[in-house]
Amino acid sequence: MSNIICHDFKTPRNDTSKRLPDTFKAIPILFYLALVSAAYLMTMDWMAYKKSERDKVSAEATKADFEAATKELEAEKTSIDNETAKAEILAKWMEGARNVQPISVAIARAMPKEVRLSDLSIERSQQVPSNLALSVRINGGSAKEVGVMETGLARLQYRSFGSQSTKDGDVVEYRSTLVRQEQ
Amino acid sequence: MNPKQIACVVLMSIIGAITYFGQIIHKKVVAMKASAESAVADAKAAQDANQLTEILLTKTKAETEDLRRFLRAWTPSVQKVQTEQEMEAAIEYTLRERNISLVKSRKSESRPLAVGSLIPKMVISTIVIEDEYDKVVNWFGDIEKRLPLSRVISCQMTGGSSVRQVQLDVTIESPLVNIAVELGPKIAAAKKK
Repeated sequence: MSNIICHDFKTPRNDTSKRLPDTFKAIPILFYLALVSAAYLMTMDWMAYKKSERDKVSAEATKADFEAATKELEAEKTSIDNETAKAEILAKWMEGARNVQPISVAIARAMPKEVRLSDLSIERSQQVPSNLALSVRINGGSAKEVGVMETGLARLQYRSFGSQSTKDGDVVEYRSTLVRQEQ
Repeated sequence: MNPKQIACVVLMSIIGAITYFGQIIHKKVVAMKASAESAVADAKAAQDANQLTEILLTKTKAETEDLRRFLRAWTPSVQKVQTEQEMEAAIEYTLRERNISLVKSRKSESRPLAVGSLIPKMVISTIVIEDEYDKVVNWFGDIEKRLPLSRVISCQMTGGSSVRQVQLDVTIESPLVNIAVELGPKIAAAKKK
């Protein structure tokens, strides 16, 4: 070891720059605080963002599912509406397409052997097809045959409206409108 | 400016930048949250609409069941006669089956109706036959049974050439039904009116 003692002759030096005010000492603390809080908030935000994104995707998928299901239901309803409309048209048609033959048979059966049915005419109304205009000419008949005939028609659920019966010698002419009575 | 001041300015700038970016990110998160909430509300609305449609469908099904059953029951009869020729054949068959000897006249004409409707065409047949009363009346019943959709427009029964003979003059209107037609848009138009 050297015997020479080395002394530190370095004298205290003044600051080269001026000291900052005390309040400025808070800036580094603020910086670290900002870093920590930004990290915390951004992490929370990031998590919230991801959750919202997941919720949005899920909600959109749910919406698409429901919309597809609604479309299917609407298509089914359209099909049912279509079927119903066709059924209504057909039912309306069928209402005016009831058989006429049983009427002619009922009228013929109402006549006794000595009476001759010389003319039987049935015409369907154009406005109300379920109504029938009946015209009958009976040779050697009377009001009795007309009554029996109306009873026979009533059994077929037809009611005579505006019936006119005229007798000219042996010939009874009967006219009426047959309207079907629903039970 | 001395280095300490510069350091302070730099730190404050960094703090400002962090706050600024933090705000931008937060705004984006708020926007995404709003978007997600809106999507959830839309999904709820879609669910409600779906439930409403389902209720409406169930109600419509229940209300129209009878009519649709009626259509299903009549569909085979409708499909049996789809052309004018098939209708003519049905008349021909019944005449032969009942052995009607005298067909005085027979004509048929087709009348087109609205295109795209359930009944696009109508066939009107007029037949005058003469035979024994039983045969004529039975034939009349047969033709109405064989063509159940047909409407007898008019029928006139008068005496024939002999006492046992009866003359029947009948006009039949037969619809040619297009059961496969789609009436959907027309229904919607009718409902709007």
